[in-house]
Amino acid sequence: MVWLSGGMFAIACLMIVSLLAFVLWQGLWTLWPRTYSIYGRKDGTLVGGELYAKASLEGQDTLYLRTGNYDVSNQHFAYVSSSELVEQSGWLAPDLWLVERKEWGNLYGFPKQLSWSQADPEDFVRVVHEGMRQTAKIDRELGEAKNELKRIDQHIAEARLGIRRVELAEKIDLQRAAETGSLEGLSPSARDAVSNLGLRNRQADETMVEINDRIAGLEAQRAERTVVFELPILDPLGTITADWADLRAGRLRDPTGLAELLGAAKDSSGLSFSAEPMGDGGLSEPGVEDQRLVCKVTIPGEPTRRLMIRRLEDGRVSVEAFREHSILLADMVRFFPTNRLGIFQRLGVYASRWWEFLSGDPREAGMEGGFFPAIWGTVVMTIVMSLAVMPFGVLAALYMREYAKSGWLLSVIRISINNLAGVPSIVYGVFGLSFFCYIVGGYIDGGPIKAGFEPWPSAAWFSALGGLAIVGLIAFAVSIFSGQAEARRSPLRTVLSWSAGLLWLLTLGLIVWLLVKSPHFHGFYEAQLPNPTFGKGCLLWAALTLSLLTLPVVIVATEEALSAVPNSLREGSYACGAGKWQTIHRIVLPYARPGIITGFILAMARGAGEVAPMMLVGAIPLATELPLDGEFPFLHGSRSFMHLGFQIYSLGFQSQNSEAAKPMVFTATLLLLSIVTVLNQTAIWLRASLRKRFQSSQF
Amino acid sequence: MNRLKAIADGQTFESVIHQEVLDRDPVVSIRDFSLFYNRKQALYNITMPVAKGMVTALVGPSGCGKSTLLRSVNRMNDLIESVRIEGDMVLNGESIFAPSVDVIALRKRMGMVFQKPNPFPMSIFENVVYPLRIDGERDKTILMQVCEQSLRGAALWEEVKDRLSESGLSLSGGQQQRLCIARAIASDPEVLLLDEPCSALDPIATGKIEDLIDRLRGEYSILIVTHNMQQASRISDHTAFMYLGRLVEMAETSTIFTRPRLSETEDYVTGRFG
Repeated sequence: MVWLSGGMFAIACLMIVSLLAFVLWQGLWTLWPRTYSIYGRKDGTLVGGELYAKASLEGQDTLYLRTGNYDVSNQHFAYVSSSELVEQSGWLAPDLWLVERKEWGNLYGFPKQLSWSQADPEDFVRVVHEGMRQTAKIDRELGEAKNELKRIDQHIAEARLGIRRVELAEKIDLQRAAETGSLEGLSPSARDAVSNLGLRNRQADETMVEINDRIAGLEAQRAERTVVFELPILDPLGTITADWADLRAGRLRDPTGLAELLGAAKDSSGLSFSAEPMGDGGLSEPGVEDQRLVCKVTIPGEPTRRLMIRRLEDGRVSVEAFREHSILLADMVRFFPTNRLGIFQRLGVYASRWWEFLSGDPREAGMEGGFFPAIWGTVVMTIVMSLAVMPFGVLAALYMREYAKSGWLLSVIRISINNLAGVPSIVYGVFGLSFFCYIVGGYIDGGPIKAGFEPWPSAAWFSALGGLAIVGLIAFAVSIFSGQAEARRSPLRTVLSWSAGLLWLLTLGLIVWLLVKSPHFHGFYEAQLPNPTFGKGCLLWAALTLSLLTLPVVIVATEEALSAVPNSLREGSYACGAGKWQTIHRIVLPYARPGIITGFILAMARGAGEVAPMMLVGAIPLATELPLDGEFPFLHGSRSFMHLGFQIYSLGFQSQNSEAAKPMVFTATLLLLSIVTVLNQTAIWLRASLRKRFQSSQF
Repeated sequence: MNRLKAIADGQTFESVIHQEVLDRDPVVSIRDFSLFYNRKQALYNITMPVAKGMVTALVGPSGCGKSTLLRSVNRMNDLIESVRIEGDMVLNGESIFAPSVDVIALRKRMGMVFQKPNPFPMSIFENVVYPLRIDGERDKTILMQVCEQSLRGAALWEEVKDRLSESGLSLSGGQQQRLCIARAIASDPEVLLLDEPCSALDPIATGKIEDLIDRLRGEYSILIVTHNMQQASRISDHTAFMYLGRLVEMAETSTIFTRPRLSETEDYVTGRFG
């Protein structure tokens, strides 16, 4: 038995450790800058890539390469069977750059020419860095200009809302008035609204031209600076006759016809070529005399070009050019000669990528760049959820443990709460969507009709309001009366307190019913309809749904913490003449605080990692606005938000290129795991330190 | 032995209370007091005085109702749902169990110390001034004054005066119990109820508590429950012997231990029974 149980224990440990190790490894490895190798295929083409994995597919060794250059090759990743390759280890071209771009993912290529500078290729790194600083300034100005445009749009939208509000309030149509700007026969408020829109439109017309001009100018500046790269993709130029040994030695004597192939000039007699063999590692079969050379060819007056020269049988060589590709400097985020980096430079790139990952905005639909909006969204949502769940959970547990008389009803409620913790979270999502988003949200947006209720006629509603007032008064009177009935545990008092409770319940129900049936409430956001404000998934409903989901955790933890308070402390307090509430808030709650906080943080950790309900009630894959920002009123409950867990799901399974997104999925998983771990560790540490404070010395 | 057997059989029985006890001015008078847990009766028609400024010990075998009687004096038994009482007690001329009595105000007039030290999870200072705190006292000087006075009264001041802000739980068991006594006397109670205050302590700590009780005599009226005959004989002025929810005999301590009127009492205090 000891072997069986021990074995099971070992397997369980192994599974957990390997899960953690796997996520850790994959997550940490993704952002590490790797080297880029170029392999020669036997059919003469090249394939280059960062080696992600080696696998055995259908009995053949296969390389899993991140090829990049998606805009040219239409793929991010490629599986290359090793039998296709002439050599298993690739050529680590030293002057190859990795360029991270705002669009299209990574580019790997040799920098050839800068549109704004005649700098020597050795100087490219410095010049490009300098150029990027300047374009960053242009981008900032561009962003500001676009923000101004957005603000103008908002102003006009506000003015239109104003008109819509007047239309709704006065039941008139201002469409024509708004178009023509004529104010005849309109009420003062309608006049204000219409003239306000006209004013704002005129202001917009004036400033818009200027801003658009500015934007066009900036865009033009932005488009001016380009970098031409030579990608490891070959385009055949033709064949020439040349001595292979000369080529190997770096000599190329003209005329060989190379000038014509390159289209350099009609009159090539006056030109000189210097060819410099760059390397053949990975491009030729070992043992056999090299068949391929990569040469740099300089023609005076033109930028140096890279050529692939391949030896043919009859003393001729074929010449192929590396495909040129030009990109905007402004699209470059980060670049470095990836094969030439020392370990510290590599660490620097790694750190900068992590920094971008934690603090930057996503690029390429989240496959590249940062996760900051997702982290922010998760944190804000979790905090709002905690604020919602904390008072509810703690007060409910307090009532159940300290005030309620134990009996069958309490047991049933307690069991129900425990079971609630086991309800699948997607059920909460469905509930949140149908109740919070559609009913409550619809009610806030457009009143009972939008929430799907038929309002009563006005007269019936007012008489029901009168009924409510009467019931409320009776309930109030009965509770006062039952409080005054003195005899302890007399049957009259029991009856009175029960009926007071029932009456209050009835009052509450009536209030809800009256709200739902009101013919006089048309929502707070009626003017925005049919665009929903709260009647859709958003931060507020997501937080409330999650707080429902975590409520059992908080209640159970709080109840346990309360029941762990020694009765002797309560008695001691009562013996000092303290009342019930004094005892609870001076003795019981401080003593139970570590347990309550622990449960609270566990609930937070549970909520932060929950994905299923988030998909229904407010998380979206790409949000342009943060739920909490510097814009009044700072916390925007009606905004959709990005969520880390949902991001993992949508990246891994919903993005256009989930294969390419996979590494990012692991990094995001690692991040989520660390957030949850940090929360749990905080809980454990907090509990330990608080417990130490309350630990009684033994005697 | 016959009387004890009669009690066990449920026969009625007249308590023997010596005149010397009845002559004293009482702080608490228990009058024909009975207590029930649901149907089960725990105390039977107990009538006895607790003399002012003296130490009265309640002794008797386990389960005889000493603690229940003690906890009835400040109505701690109210906290138990199933308890029902008959009869009454009087504290300095005012009824304890009358319906109009404010229990909280009543408890503030008494101090209570429990079997196990139960200092609150707060600083030593806050522990002592807790009764004042719940009355809303905020004046630092008054609180400090009461704290020092009570700690001196509980013979703890010299030991803790330099660490009043430390947790009350950092003290040793005996110190914790003296802290609880300090807390109990902080509100200057009319009677001090001690429920086996030394049962969880080692002999040295017990000795200190006994010295303390001896010092408090005269200043406070003390009702103490104890299991320990020697303790009762050392510290109390009056001793009441209880058995199965009934008061058997009550007299001056020396009388009870040397020449009790009932042979059953003698058997018990000399250890021949119980």
